[in-house]
Formats: sequence, structure tokens, C-alpha cells
Amino acid sequence: MTRYGMVIDVDRCTGCFNCFLACRDEHAGNDHRPVSAAQPAGHSWIKVQELERGSFPKVKVSYVPVPCLQCTDAPCMRAATGGAMARRADGIVIIDPDKAIGQRDIVSACPYGAVFWNDVENLPQKCTFCAHLLDDGWTEPRCVEACPVQALVFGDLEDPTSDVARLIAQKPVEALAPVPAEPPPVRYLGLPTRFVAGEIVLGDGSEECAEGVSVSLRKGQQTFTISTDNYGDFEFLGLEADTEYVLSIEHAGYERFELHWNSSADPNIGTIVIERAG
Amino acid sequence: MDDTTVYRTTAWSAGPGCHGGCGQKLHVKNGKLVRIEGDENHPWNQGRSCPRVLAMTQYMYHPDRITRPLKRVGARGEGKFEPISWDEAYDTCEKRLNEIKRKYGAESAIFVQGTGRDIGGPITMLAYSYGSPNWVQLGLSGHSCYTPRLGAMKTVMGDFAVADCSQYLERRYEDPQWKVPEIIITWGQNSTMGCPDGFFGSWVVDCMKLGTRIIAVEPRNTWLSSRALHHLQLRPGTDGALALAMINVIIGEGLYDKEFVAKWVQGFDALRERAAQYPLDEVAKITEIPAQEIAAAARAFARAKQAAVQWGVPVDMCPDGTAVAHAITCLSVITGNIDKPGGQVIARPSHGVTSYPFSTEELVKLYGADLIARLNEKRIGADVYPMVKNFRGWAQPDMVIDQVESGVPYPVKAAWIQTANVVGGQSARAKFHLEALKKLEFIAVVDLFHNPTTMALADIILPAATFPEKDSIRSWWAPLISIKKRVQVGECKSDWEINFELAKRFNPEGMKRWKTLEDMFNERLAPSKMTVADLQQQGGFKMPEDGPFKPYFRHERGLLRPDGKPGFNTKSGKIEVYCDTFEGWGMDPLPFYTEPPQSERSTPELFKKYPLVMITGARSQLFFHAEHRQIPWLREKLPDPTVEIHPETAKKYAIYDGEWVYLENDMGRVKRKAKFSLQVKRHHVHTMHGWWMPEMEGKAPSLYGVGDFQINNIIPGPQCAKSGFGGGQYKTTLCTLAKISA
Repeated sequence: MTRYGMVIDVDRCTGCFNCFLACRDEHAGNDHRPVSAAQPAGHSWIKVQELERGSFPKVKVSYVPVPCLQCTDAPCMRAATGGAMARRADGIVIIDPDKAIGQRDIVSACPYGAVFWNDVENLPQKCTFCAHLLDDGWTEPRCVEACPVQALVFGDLEDPTSDVARLIAQKPVEALAPVPAEPPPVRYLGLPTRFVAGEIVLGDGSEECAEGVSVSLRKGQQTFTISTDNYGDFEFLGLEADTEYVLSIEHAGYERFELHWNSSADPNIGTIVIERAG
Repeated sequence: MDDTTVYRTTAWSAGPGCHGGCGQKLHVKNGKLVRIEGDENHPWNQGRSCPRVLAMTQYMYHPDRITRPLKRVGARGEGKFEPISWDEAYDTCEKRLNEIKRKYGAESAIFVQGTGRDIGGPITMLAYSYGSPNWVQLGLSGHSCYTPRLGAMKTVMGDFAVADCSQYLERRYEDPQWKVPEIIITWGQNSTMGCPDGFFGSWVVDCMKLGTRIIAVEPRNTWLSSRALHHLQLRPGTDGALALAMINVIIGEGLYDKEFVAKWVQGFDALRERAAQYPLDEVAKITEIPAQEIAAAARAFARAKQAAVQWGVPVDMCPDGTAVAHAITCLSVITGNIDKPGGQVIARPSHGVTSYPFSTEELVKLYGADLIARLNEKRIGADVYPMVKNFRGWAQPDMVIDQVESGVPYPVKAAWIQTANVVGGQSARAKFHLEALKKLEFIAVVDLFHNPTTMALADIILPAATFPEKDSIRSWWAPLISIKKRVQVGECKSDWEINFELAKRFNPEGMKRWKTLEDMFNERLAPSKMTVADLQQQGGFKMPEDGPFKPYFRHERGLLRPDGKPGFNTKSGKIEVYCDTFEGWGMDPLPFYTEPPQSERSTPELFKKYPLVMITGARSQLFFHAEHRQIPWLREKLPDPTVEIHPETAKKYAIYDGEWVYLENDMGRVKRKAKFSLQVKRHHVHTMHGWWMPEMEGKAPSLYGVGDFQINNIIPGPQCAKSGFGGGQYKTTLCTLAKISA
């Protein structure tokens, strides 16, 4: 039995909006009942969120595409009444364009803002993975086809040889926050995480960038250690949010440096000057 | 969609708006384009599209599209136009332009184009058939878009070159001849946000997936710079100093390709001495990049087995853009990265076909040396600027508008403006352009929509076609392409059709050897030994075969020079980093750095008053220059003209996120919506160019809000390049932020 899913590789997404435009082209003015009514202006059945983090000179820019995640335990379905929503055998969550009229609760129930209200039709609407195309023999929705960098990978989760199943099996895929108890069929690779970055300079008057200095990051019992690069820079990626971390710097002949902080933001520690010991 | 036919063609026109080249599949039903998607068989884009192509159906069938020729019936600016027949439109243009020619001479009519989308071919044909030498990207200060880079490459190397992303090989990344560039420097180019200069932006991402590491030379923080090995976050306009410092590191540390330099480079010692004048510490101060970072990036580039540079328009917009392009070219040259896989690949128009003349050399080939020489006598700027005279048959744009205003040394009386929104788009000192052009006796505008230029200036408007509506050929760079018309929208005609008809009227004798446009295309295709029909039969495109038009190592195989000897296509046969040709033209034979005309260093008093460096012109995939603001699917994602401001800077000016503010300097002020962003440094702001509001009143004085929103109203002219090419101040103008309520 086919069960559709998608892995979105955020590290690849350059924010070009092809997915959004392909979705528009497929759905604007096109009624695909029974799976979807025509998409009006203002809807983003796949959103592209621009995220900036860090601070000068360590700023990172990412783009996170967000379609309907087709949640395994879908809050929108619980909010729907009168059979307005159903999950197909292939896992796609469908809002019935006729039965869902007037049901605004379906929009507000979605924690990802992926369901949109159609003012004219008085109807909640969302991404269907282009179910009408899949039913017609297509192997992927329009957004996936249109992605120029293959950031959207689509396929059958039940088929272990499919790209999407292999990615889930082999890569650290995650669910978008707020993370549900059951992993949804749409999952992410490379979601922006907290990071810490800085630069180390030797404080003996030379102001030399300190290459090869050992920098450690401790979280509870876990410690990660890296060396600064040839201009004294270091960077730890993939930190957990709202967690206590200890950054320590050790370099022979220099005083030990230690910094405690909570990863509620992406601190750029800036330039750290380490002083000669003794 | 059983009654739908799918046709394969190539995009190159207004609509996508860009420099085109990608294969697209047109789904046509009952004579109408209903869907468009990338052609997976086309080696250029391998099935990919972009938002602007995906929105083509909205663009082509937009209710505001001009679909019949129009004549102005009120005063200029009143916005009163009436539909007329093509015959009447042609007759009027012919009559009025011939009157101007009789009274003032053919040079009194200027022929104006915008960006390079299948316009250089038809517009030169028309200008030269009429007899005017004044072909110009009017308003584009210093022709600061690719021309300086092209000029530097052609003069120094004898050829053009581009970053090698396997685009000359039909099998692309799978071709065993190709090597992945270990490094690509994206120099002033956010490659993922567009496809300029015959380069598909996603190729850079393709290479990254295959292992390429990026050195981003970029004042902003972008997706690309976030993923770069080195991000050289330079002060805008200081690219020349950076390139020279990198050359200095590479030569000083002995990291250059000694074999290549000994064999193929002229003037290396002179370059070494020149670069030595740009020590790291000094350049670190000039560029605001730490010295170690410059050195580390230079080393990484030089140590790579093969490395490429994919550069953008900011290079041209540096003061003395040609010299900056010369310096960056030297980086590739001294590291031996020319004409080899994964480096800078020599770029020649496919099969030697010229459909779009990049150089005077090509114009001479098309129109004969006599005509070009005769026209040069009157070409505006050719007597002042060496590169304008010698490299490319453009008139100098800053001088053209000054001459429109002054009438000295001869009057300018008419303009043919073709798919170029001069008033709402490229013109630095845009208001001056608007006022000066109002003086002209006759203005014909070819375009697809009304815009500030049509509204303010047009006496006749001719409706142009998009690529699914036209026939054309393309050889920029590979493959060789035939574009085939599949649908008709209203009475629109292609730029080629329009100009072919008028050129025949102005020059019946010279044009009579072609009965149809296709006859002419076939003649231009002659070097390929193919015809339009042949190309169509082969699927519409053909990649070049081994020889002068296909890489690699052509300089070793004697494929670059007309005499068939090994070497590069220069006088010496070597790459002339010390450039005798420049010297002969009275220019500096070596690359050099010029400080921007407005900056903390060059104008400290002005900087006190206007302490923010305003960067304009970064791209989005949603709009191309001044196009697309009326396309709902695209505008929806970028509804307002924003200015990106660092949150701390905004705080200093007491500006909140989303507040409408003025960007202001001595030239005036322009409205923008504040967008807090970490993508800009604290003392920079960035704003997109090309904004006018199709939804606002079109007639004067509003002209679709161009007075309020056209950022080039506060970009000064004239250009600042000794060669005549480069130095438009689009990325280095100083400004401040002001609250609108105050």
C-alpha cells in the first residue's frame, strides 16, 4: 500500500518560490474536486519562510518551505465536523470542498498555519500533495517537480527503495516544530538550529589570530571539541534550543577561558582574547 | 488535457525578462498557452523553470497587456492613447523619423534598449538601416552591466570566458571531460536569485552538491554566503582593491601557476609590481575585510586544482569597472584557470553565429567596416572614451542624456525606445532623464505594458511579443538555438519582426536580399551550416561540436586564433595582463583601484550627513528589473518596495519594522517600507531597484508613482570610469533614513 511522504532539505532551499508558483499554476482557477476547490489569491499552500540568525559577521540565512504536513494525528481533522475531512489510504489528508463550508475551526486548529481560509467560498483549503495528479498517474506534486535544487523529495514511505524512504532511513530527519507525538509524513532535513560562533585572538600584543586552538562545548555530560581555523574562527552548529552550554578554550601557555550561557538565541561570541598564563 | 499540444522552445524575451537560455515546454490548447514547464531534455536547465516562467500565462494574457499599436491623442503624460493599425504605426514611425533625419541628420535619433534579451540584434539592425550610430542602453550609467567585463576580457584575453559549470557539454555534469570546480568565487553575484549574462543560477548549486566550495564576495549575508568557505564581506565598490590584494598574496607566496604564466602570460612582472602596491593591511582597511580572510581566500583559490569565478554586475558598477574586471580576470589567469575544465571556460557564441553583437568586431562582421567606421564619427562618446570608440558600438549613455539636454555638439530629436523602461528602470538621475527626454520631437516605444516611460513620453507604442509568440535564433553561448512561434497574443509582434519591417523601409536596398526574417536568420546561421529548419528538426537546439566553439584547451590546439597557431586571440598570442591594447588607447595597461566617488574616505563631509551606504539592485526570482509588478502571482510574495535595515541601525533612527520611510540624500528622497534584516551590515542599507506601481495613476505627474518609488531618482550620474564603461553609482551612493511623518 502506498503512503506518500516528503522530505524537505532546508539546506538546499534557496528561497526561489518556484514551489509556490507551481502550486499557483496548478490550483489557481482550477477546481480539482473532490480533493480541492480552486485556490484563491492570498493562499500559500506551500509557504517559504525566510529565517535569519546570528549576528555580524556570523549571519546565516535559510529558507524553510512549509506545505501541509499531512499530520499523522491531524489537529485539523479533530476540529472538522460532519465528515468534512478524511485521510485517504495513501495518507493524504483531504478537506472536502463541499462538506467543509463554513468550518473556520479547521484553519485555526493547524499549528503550522498551513490551512487557509477562502473568504469568497467560505471554505478552509490546503495542500493536497496534488492528489488529483497522483491519482492521474503522476509520481510527484507540481512543487516537487518545479524545485530547481531538489530540496523537495517526494515518494512512497512504504517503499524502502524510494528516495524519500531512504532519506528518512539514513539521514537525521526531523519534524517541524511544534513537534507532534507521531512523526508526520512531511519531514525536514537541516532545519536551522542554534549555533555559536566566535573568533580567538592571542592577547600577547601581537593580536595574531589563533589557529588550531582547541575549543570545547559542554552540555551536561556531553562534550564536543573542535579547533579554530586559520583565522581563529570557530563555529558549533546544531545546538539544542534553550539549553545550558559551557564553552571553554584551552591553549598551551595561555589562561583557560570559560563561558556559560543559555541557547535561547544564536550568540556570536565575537572576538575572545586569550591571555598568556602566569 | 488530450487536445493540448506540447511544444519545446527556449525562453529569451520580456516575460521571464532575464537573459534567457532555458528550454521550456509550452502546453498549447486552442491557440492559447495554458501551462509552461521546464524541458527536461534541454541541457541548459535540465527541466527547470523559475517563478517568472511559471507565471507566463498570467503575464501573456494579462488584461493590461498592450496588444495593439497605439498612438498618443492627448498631450504627453495625459495617458490618452488610441489603437491604430500596424500600417499606420509603421507609416508614422517611418515618416517622423525620416523627417528628423532630413532636418537634423540620422544621428539625431537615438536607439534605446534595456537589458540583453534578444534586443541587441534587432535594434542594431534598425539603427544602422536608418543610419544612426547612437545605439545605447540609455540611463544605464557607464553601461555598467556586463559591457565593462566583456571589454576587459576581450582586450586582455582576446576572448570572453565564464565559470565552467559544464554548460558547453551536452551530457553536462556526467561528461568525463568536465571537472568540478573546487572553488567558485561568486563575485558580487547572488547566483541563486537569477540567471544573468547567459548563466543559469542553479548551476552554482549543482556544483555545490558535487563538492564545490564557495568564496562569496558579497557585502550582504545571503543563502550563498551562509554556506561559503569564505565570505568576503566587502565595502561596496572596493572590489578592485580586493582583487589586487588577492593577486598580491598569490604572487607573493608563489602560489601562481608558474608553467601557465611562463608560457601564456605577457606582462606578469609588471602585474606583480602593480599588485605589490596593494598590501593586505591597507586593503583590509579599504575593503573592511580582515587581512587574514583576504589571504585565506586567495590561498584557497590559488591552491584549488581548478577554480572558477562567477561574477555579477557590481563589478561593472565599481568606479573604473573595466579595470576591476581586468583585475579579477588576472586572478583566473595567474592561477592557470583559463580554458580548462572547472575553471574559466572560453565562451564563444555557439557555432560562431552572431545573433547578438557583443563587440565592434561582431558589428563589423554583420554590417561591414565602412559603415561602422563612418557611423563612429558621430557616435556620442566615441571621441571622448577609448573603450566606447574601440570595444563596443554603444553610444555613451551619460553623455547621450547630457546631449539630449544641451543639444551640443548636435541636437538629439528622436528616440526609439525598445523594451526598456528608461524612466522607471535603469536610469541613474531618473528625473533628469524624464525631463530631458520630454524635449524630443518624436518618441516611439516598443513594449508589452504601459509603464512610466510609455505614459510620459510615447507618441507611438508598438506591442512586443514574448518568447512563445516569436521566432528567433540564439547563440549565447551554447547551444545554438532556434526559438519558434507557437501562439499569437492580440496583434503583438516580436522585436525582430517590428524592426525587420521598419529597417526595410529605411534601407530597402540593403535589406532586399532577405524576403523574410527567416531568410535573414538563415544567413546569420551560415557559420553553423544549419538553417532554422535544420535546427527545428533536431529539436530546436544543437550543442557545438569539437573545434573553436567547444572547450577545452583550445589555446594549445590552435583553435582560438584566426591564423590557426597555438595561443590566445591577442596580438602577442598570450594573455596580456599588461595590456598593450589598453595602453595604445591611452588607458592604464594594468588593473588599478579607484575609491567610490561618494564614501567615508573620498567625501568625509558628505558621509557625516549621509552615513549609510545604499546598495541597490540585488535580485529576487520574482521580478526582473522593472518588470512584473503587475503580475499577481509574483507581486503577492513581494508586495511592497522594502529597504533592508539592520535592526540596530533602525533603532538609532527610531524606525519600526514595517514603517514607511524615506531614503534621502541631496538628490531627493524615495519611499520605502522598512524591513529589519540581518542580511545587511549596520552601516549599509539595501533596496531593490525597478519599483513603480502599476496599480497607481498612470498619467503625469504620478506616472505610476515613479517619483516616489524609483530609487534611481537619488542615484547620481555621470559615471566614473576613465574607459567610458563602468562606474554607475548604483551600489555606492550615500544616503540617510528619514521618517515620513516628520
